[in-house]
Amino acid sequence: MPRLIIDNQKIEVPEGTKVIDAAEQLGIMIPRFCYHSALGAVGACRLCAVKFLEGPVQGIEMSCMTDARDDMVVSTDDPEARAFRRFIIECLMMNHPHDCPVCDEGGHCLLQDETVSGGHDIRRYKGKKRTFRDQYIGPFVQHEMNRCIHCYLCVRFYQEFTGYRDLAAYQIGYRVYYGRFEPGQLESPFSGNLIDICPTGVFTDKPARYRGRRWNMERSPSVCIHCSLGCNTVANARYREMLRQEARLSESVNGHFICDRGRFGFGYANLPDRPRRAEIGKNEASWTEAVRALANRLTISDGASEMKKTAVLGSARSSLETQAALAILAGSAGWPMPAYFADPHQSSVCRTVVRRLDEGLAVSMKEIERADWILAVGADPINEAPMLALAMRQAVRNGGKAGVIDPRPVFLPFDFTHLPIPREQMEFCLNHLIHSGIARQEADDAGEAVAGFYAQLPEEAEFEEAVREGISTLAEGLKQSEHPVLICGTDIVPLSTPDLAADHAHLLNRIKNTCGLFYILPGADAFGAAMLEASAESAFEDLLKAIEDGEITALMVVENDLIGAYPNRKRLETALDRLELLIVLDYLSTPTVDRADFFLPTTTVFETGSCFINQEGRLQYAEQVHAVGAPIRQLRGRSHPPREHRDEVPGGDPRPAWRAVADLVRALDLDEIRLYTSGPESWLTGSKGPFRFFQEKIYPPREGRILPAESEVAPFKSSIKKEAKKPEAGTLDILFVDRTFGAEALSALSEPIRRAEPAAAAFIHPKDASELGLSDGDSAILRFEEGDLEIPVALNNDMARGLLVIPRKPDLEWQTAGARFPRIARNRIAGVRKETE
Amino acid sequence: MTRNKPNIWKYSLSAVKGIYDAYAVSMINFLRKPVTEEYPEYKRPLPERSRGRIILTRDPDGDERCVACYLCSAVCPTSCISMESAEREEDGRRFAIWFRINFARCIYCGQCEEACPTLAIQLTPDYEFCQYEVLDFVYEKEDLLVDHGGRHPDYNFYRHAGVTEKGDKGAHPDEEEPVNLKSNMP
Amino acid sequence: MWFLGFVILLIKLAAVLGALVLLAVYLVWIERRLLAKFETRLGPNRAGWHGALQPFADGVKILLKEDLIPEGADRFIFMMAPAVVATSALLLFVVVPFGEGFTLWGRRVPMLFTDLNVGLLYVVAISTVAVYGVVLAGWSSNSLYSLLGGIRGAAQMISYELSLGLSLAPVVMMAGSFSLVDIVDAQAAYPFILVQPVGFLIFLVSTMAEAHRLPFDIPEAENELMGGYHTEYSGMRFGLFFVGEYVNMLVLGSLAAVFFLGGWRGPLLPGVVWFVLKVLIVPFLLIWSRAALPRPRYDQLMAFGWKCLIPVALVNIIATGGLMLLFG
Repeated sequence: MPRLIIDNQKIEVPEGTKVIDAAEQLGIMIPRFCYHSALGAVGACRLCAVKFLEGPVQGIEMSCMTDARDDMVVSTDDPEARAFRRFIIECLMMNHPHDCPVCDEGGHCLLQDETVSGGHDIRRYKGKKRTFRDQYIGPFVQHEMNRCIHCYLCVRFYQEFTGYRDLAAYQIGYRVYYGRFEPGQLESPFSGNLIDICPTGVFTDKPARYRGRRWNMERSPSVCIHCSLGCNTVANARYREMLRQEARLSESVNGHFICDRGRFGFGYANLPDRPRRAEIGKNEASWTEAVRALANRLTISDGASEMKKTAVLGSARSSLETQAALAILAGSAGWPMPAYFADPHQSSVCRTVVRRLDEGLAVSMKEIERADWILAVGADPINEAPMLALAMRQAVRNGGKAGVIDPRPVFLPFDFTHLPIPREQMEFCLNHLIHSGIARQEADDAGEAVAGFYAQLPEEAEFEEAVREGISTLAEGLKQSEHPVLICGTDIVPLSTPDLAADHAHLLNRIKNTCGLFYILPGADAFGAAMLEASAESAFEDLLKAIEDGEITALMVVENDLIGAYPNRKRLETALDRLELLIVLDYLSTPTVDRADFFLPTTTVFETGSCFINQEGRLQYAEQVHAVGAPIRQLRGRSHPPREHRDEVPGGDPRPAWRAVADLVRALDLDEIRLYTSGPESWLTGSKGPFRFFQEKIYPPREGRILPAESEVAPFKSSIKKEAKKPEAGTLDILFVDRTFGAEALSALSEPIRRAEPAAAAFIHPKDASELGLSDGDSAILRFEEGDLEIPVALNNDMARGLLVIPRKPDLEWQTAGARFPRIARNRIAGVRKETE
Repeated sequence: MTRNKPNIWKYSLSAVKGIYDAYAVSMINFLRKPVTEEYPEYKRPLPERSRGRIILTRDPDGDERCVACYLCSAVCPTSCISMESAEREEDGRRFAIWFRINFARCIYCGQCEEACPTLAIQLTPDYEFCQYEVLDFVYEKEDLLVDHGGRHPDYNFYRHAGVTEKGDKGAHPDEEEPVNLKSNMP
Repeated sequence: MWFLGFVILLIKLAAVLGALVLLAVYLVWIERRLLAKFETRLGPNRAGWHGALQPFADGVKILLKEDLIPEGADRFIFMMAPAVVATSALLLFVVVPFGEGFTLWGRRVPMLFTDLNVGLLYVVAISTVAVYGVVLAGWSSNSLYSLLGGIRGAAQMISYELSLGLSLAPVVMMAGSFSLVDIVDAQAAYPFILVQPVGFLIFLVSTMAEAHRLPFDIPEAENELMGGYHTEYSGMRFGLFFVGEYVNMLVLGSLAAVFFLGGWRGPLLPGVVWFVLKVLIVPFLLIWSRAALPRPRYDQLMAFGWKCLIPVALVNIIATGGLMLLFG
């Protein structure tokens, strides 16, 4: 442990620590451009020069390139070091344009700060400035190359950290150009981080271009709700409009970066057609009127205080507060306990996840980065949880092996083994792979339960040559692995897979002493939703059945687009027609909202503080960013704000959904007065709720995992088939899947995401395509019993046979298929030739 | 110890003289012409740099100078300036879609003028714009924009900025031709 | 015939009261204009011709203001105090002869209300009553500033009352009567100021103190006591104090005219005109003093009254008496 002195302060740091980090631990921020703690040091910018007064190194040296060693005496503000840094700044500023007023980076620009603090204020160089032409690099990032100071951070991040190659350095010397070979959209779904990482204004936020400087923004720590990972962000709003999101450093979740879906997906909160007034029927009403009228409708007039029995459907994107409040409402009103997933598949898979995940198994993304063997089952990380792909890439960069068992065409920005196995055979393949990677002796040594489970695993398997090779590579990797991690998707896996994955994780855990289990869930707070459903044994299927039987005549849907989410459109329509009363609470304008008899507008995550539990069981709190109200820009368009004094904020009616529930409880005169008399801390723990972790009554809660030390479910109970299930001949499996851009319900409404999303296309294996007579770009018409679905096809070699992969886009009526995992006979697919000119 | 006893006569004389002087001085002033300037009839010519009503000036080409960089609003001690910037559709130039100064709050300190990098915002000697309605003090961009360059008629920010609003990069006198990416010629 | 006398009395009352109050109100404007002149300013010159309507504008303003009564105030006394000040000032005028008198329909109409044979004593007595107004206003306001102002006012007015009275003793001695008419008549040959310059000066200084005019405005010293005894007053009640103060100035002016300047007597012009001109001399001097002199400290004020004015006035009486004995 080297001990050194920096600016007269003693410090002891671990071996290999750079001097720049050692200084940072002392609270001394040495200026830097090219050094980034996630990307390491390259010593390109020369700005972090400090003077070494005594010790093994002496004189001016770069603090980011020098390891801390014993007896070093470092001065960061030695006159010589200062002069050196000022000179560096002056050189960097030689070609920098004079455009801070029109540059969006101004105000949070590192170059600006360093120039001012370095004391460089007069340009002495009288020559001409070098210029570059800018490129169009997609709807997210604005390119202005003249401002570049050639620190290389962008290319290092883009190529080394995210693994994409289309942004690169061109030319030599002082003419080095960072850009694409041809203008075009950046391929990486992490390109938004260039905005954060660029120390000056070369890459700036395009959607928020010119909309405000850092000091104008209302900034709050927030949590991304566009997938289940719960990445940490800083949300920026101005004039009641969400403008920008930045990544917030979270050691255990997302590190320094976030994906573009999370960064630019906030557009739904600003939509001009966002409903902001309560509605009775189709007539606008004030909040109080609507709640009172609703309470009257829910109270049966002839039966004194009896309530109309109402089914309640919450959502996986709602905050924990809303979900818990719904449970309290239903409990105290004597209604059936609420369901939270419209999709029965999601419901049962997520419940399994909640039951199986415990502290012994769960890993964070940080731990995935340290894993040396990663197997993803039924998961498509870049599309379902993009930041997971980045974490996996870091593991691979550190020498780990990665494999994916998934029928879909899976792309990941690193080398990995893809086993394109049909959906029914994934479990079999997983069993076989684990069996091949573990020696019998190891299993026998790990105890009876493990050995018994191991013995059931299939030893033999018939797969194609390529798959067999992949399995043996991965098995070989598993044998040598010390920190394996299993990733299990939930979107397309069979219902039993999460259980099986947990069992395998237990198996590896017993043998290797450490094995992580990482699930991907369908929603920001799917974990909380599943906890509530699991504890109340409720399911939307049961509620729907009761509606169909006429037992229940009212339905309350909270922040859930039921019509968009339920996989069987026809059945749902029939059920909805039987309803007497449909109550919808939401902040989006959805088809479900259009059908509502009563509508109450709710707030987004940016307008109210709320808790979310991510897929690893980590409780996080997103703070309120801005006040509720219509964005000022929407009041008068591209003109000045209204010139009037008003008592209330225009468009300020929406309230948090849980507050709406509380108002309803009050109007119905139910027992649960806690809901409206005190804050969430007093009722979140709820007598009926499973949220024991709120016992401390700290609100907002402390961030952290809330998992039980050990799951109540005993491991190794999965039933294991010795034989792979053969796919049915003559039919195609259809998978409706998530995409990075355009399939997730909230971000799909965001304008820049809409521009970035690729055209909807169904992936199909070339052999299946040729059997069907389809070629790339043709449209396929799928003739389901309930109707037709037309979609262009894209051929892809890297996927299972007998499969059609269709993105679950909101504008695609995929629910006509009538089932979550439909099969379609080949003769019901018709092709339409692409029109060639 | 003996205290110095004031001479009563000297003392009284000085008192009388003091009183006499006071009456004399006031009577002399009584006979002088009043120095008051009667304001609405007579308006004292103000120096060019006196700080009154704020204007937004135009550059020599007649285009508005303000690029809505938010610096004036940031420096304003009373937060009376607000604006929103946007990209002009015709030429991609940054400009203020709205720009508002609340003169009811303004203290005419001139810091906005100091901060303005494009010399757009300037204080004029005009101070006569009282209103009865406080909302009438809220000036919008169209009220603030004038058709001249104010005190600095010749300055044009974009000729020095190093960014283009119109035309190609490298078009300014202080700039080299843009680097050709596809050539290795130095 | 008694009836006609009554009507004439009423007409006289109305005329004098109206003229007095109008003059007092205009005195405010005159003071402001003069003060401005002394300070090389212009003063109020906007309302009407050279600001001549300014008193009415002020009057309207003061009438329309809210009449506030502070919490904890003795309401009745609080409301009555301004009236005491104003009334005592007006009552002084009863014995002042302001003209020669004339004959109407064969009836002698004297230019005064009543010729009391103890007129001078009456004047001194009534002017003492004004102290009550000040003290009661200060006390009933339930405010520290007011109370201090009231106490100071009482002390100051009682002290200077003495020198005022003493300065008038030689006048009585020379006129041989307490009646104001007789005093004026006694000055038919020459005004007493010529033989009583010291008495006039003492009278003038005491007058300033009685009217608590600057430099003797200790009871309402603005920068120490906000407004002194009338701090808590607003609206028309404050207006009464205000008018009372200016009426007081005029009354004291008229007393100075009667005692020292020969009353309404003068060549060429009618008696009333001479009287008004002489009356205005004192307010002018008061205004001039206001422009010229600073306010003394409270103890200096008392010391000056007791240690300087009263001895000098006594010496003046003895000297007058001696001289009268000598020259008969």
